[in-house]
Amino acid sequence: MVLTELKPGEKGIITDLSHIDENIQRRLLDLGVLEGREVCYKCALPFGGPCLLEVCGQCIGIRKKEAMRIQVECS
Amino acid sequence: MQVALFGNPNTGKTSLFNELTGSYEYVGNWTGVTVEKKVGRLKKNLGLLIDLPGIYALNPLSKDEAVASNFLIEEEFTSILNIVDASQLARNLHLTIQLMEYGKPVLIGLNMIDVAKSRGMKVDEKSLSKGLGVPVVPIIARTGKGCGEISERMREKPVAPDFRIDYGDVIEEAATRIMGILPDYKSLNKRWLALQFLEGNEVIRSISAFRPLKTELLAYCTEVENRLREKNPHASLKQEMFKKRQQFIDRLIGTAVEQTGSERKTLTEKIDAVVTNKFLGVPIFIGTMYLMFCITFNWLGTPLSDLLDKFFSGPLTDWIEAGLTKAGATQFIRDVVLNGIVAGVGGVLVFVPQIFVLFFFISLIEDSGYMARVAMVMDRVMEAVGLNGRAFIPLIIGFGCNVPGVMASRTIEQPKERLLTTLLTPLMSCSARLSVYSLFVSAFFHKYQALVVLSLYLLGIVIALVLAKVFSMVMKTEGSVFIIELPPYRVPNARSLFRGTWDKGKGFVRKAGTLIFGGTVVIWLISYTGPGGLDVPVDKSFMALICKYLAPLFQPLGFGTWQAAAALLTGFMAKEVVVSTMNVLYFVPSGASLADVIQHAFTPLTAYSFMVFILLYIPCLSTVAMVHKETGSGKVTLFSIGYALTVAYVVSFIIYQGGRLLGF
Repeated sequence: MVLTELKPGEKGIITDLSHIDENIQRRLLDLGVLEGREVCYKCALPFGGPCLLEVCGQCIGIRKKEAMRIQVECS
Repeated sequence: MQVALFGNPNTGKTSLFNELTGSYEYVGNWTGVTVEKKVGRLKKNLGLLIDLPGIYALNPLSKDEAVASNFLIEEEFTSILNIVDASQLARNLHLTIQLMEYGKPVLIGLNMIDVAKSRGMKVDEKSLSKGLGVPVVPIIARTGKGCGEISERMREKPVAPDFRIDYGDVIEEAATRIMGILPDYKSLNKRWLALQFLEGNEVIRSISAFRPLKTELLAYCTEVENRLREKNPHASLKQEMFKKRQQFIDRLIGTAVEQTGSERKTLTEKIDAVVTNKFLGVPIFIGTMYLMFCITFNWLGTPLSDLLDKFFSGPLTDWIEAGLTKAGATQFIRDVVLNGIVAGVGGVLVFVPQIFVLFFFISLIEDSGYMARVAMVMDRVMEAVGLNGRAFIPLIIGFGCNVPGVMASRTIEQPKERLLTTLLTPLMSCSARLSVYSLFVSAFFHKYQALVVLSLYLLGIVIALVLAKVFSMVMKTEGSVFIIELPPYRVPNARSLFRGTWDKGKGFVRKAGTLIFGGTVVIWLISYTGPGGLDVPVDKSFMALICKYLAPLFQPLGFGTWQAAAALLTGFMAKEVVVSTMNVLYFVPSGASLADVIQHAFTPLTAYSFMVFILLYIPCLSTVAMVHKETGSGKVTLFSIGYALTVAYVVSFIIYQGGRLLGF
């Protein structure tokens, strides 16, 4: 399943990041977001606005279309 | 001794820089406050300290990050001071490892131990130091704790670390081979160069000395990557090297960090649940701005400014006049000082209280961490016009002064979005324009001061967004991307708050003493002299003669007087000069204020139209210079002046003519 299918507040394990835009992928890697990490999907802003996620104790905002390309597995 | 300050974004490098050098540079709580290299002199004459933009890794994604990476290969320095955020240790150590591989002596400042503690983490700096082989000093940069020890440690003779981690057979073999191929370059560490080349660092890959070898080396990198994929089909060099570093870091953290308590739901999460709320996010942002203007205008700033104005036009003028008469000054000197300098410079200085109040709130927003949330909340709107939420930060900084706003657009990754932000930031209503609004709202909109000013600020934003849409339709668009880190909120520290306010405000005061002082004297001279000689009536002066030609141009906008034209013409120097010019050109009887006098020259509608024109018409001289520096193109700079003039004319025309039709 993809990240945005989680309910707000639910956690999952990242299984695949390779479909995201390359620049975003690099920045996510800089922030320590990679396959195998636990991610918490916190919330999304209205009208298809950005989503908030938490990985390793830090909050990151990314666009919904990018979040929809993050494959996760329920933990 | 030259020490370079490196670290992840928003870890407190500039706070530490200010502590160690005793200077004051811009600090805030978001990613990308520092966008250029800054050099300061260390206390006790130890040498120089160089502050650099924050980076996560040595391979840059944006222009400000490239400043830091280029520094490593271009500049001479003795050692590295690496500041590490204890609460995000794992992520920070990735950079530390790359800096140690560089081969210069490294000293680590372990910052935010207090934040780590509140998350239930206890970091043992001794084991950290042992594991890395370099000295580690715990500090709290915001309060200055531990900075003395950093100075002490810097005195010691720096020793280069003997550090290396094993990247696995495939990569190690490749690194050795590349080390053999690469020529010597500025005596930089070969292994570091090879590893960075493999990892895909664009700064290293485009070193001109390596150009003849580049094709061969790139082909080799692909070959290495393919070999990695034999084991794992998704592998890449970048990820593989990241994982090896991560393994090292995990082992290190296992010995150096003790997880004492579990994480509680932090205050940051509770506040975020409200300010980034689905429905409340945008209203809260606009409400915050409205509150800010209410305090600046209605409640605190204006009463203070009025007091100052009374003092300038009353006692101060009388004292100076008495003093000059006593000293036997000629009529000419008395006119220059009283009608020129006191009226012009004093007319700008009366707005100091309002501007300081506004700067105090901007500093508060910067220091608290709300800035990143605003970027997040605004992203959806910005995306619709072809920008991303990050571009909103330069726009907000532009409210203080457009010059740092234009510079802040460096943090935007995509070149097209960066250019757009650079072009549009000058539309943000800066503090200099505030002095013009203050004058007019106190004369015409006494009851609704805050609301009228807020409307001008919002108008600036709306026009910037509309133009962004227009410009991005014209320019070929690359896909827009957005990613932002939301730092934990901090209770703003009183010291950095006051320093931030003072630092922004002092520019305004200094400008009043230099540019505006000089400008006022010149304006006064042109309005004092005319074809008829000295001391001519003001409407027979050179100023009046020149500007009477321009005035009819502004007739359709409602302010076709030569005084208004003169104010606009001189306002290109700096927008405060508009106020000085009006003070010089309109004769203000003693005891009255300029606000009373201009009530005869403008109506509320023409006043609003004039304020809108001032808001949009042209970036000031310093902003134009900065746009030129950032874009490096004369054409773009001319365009930024041209489009602003056109837009200002059109919008003011619509407001004035529309207002007349509606019967105002």
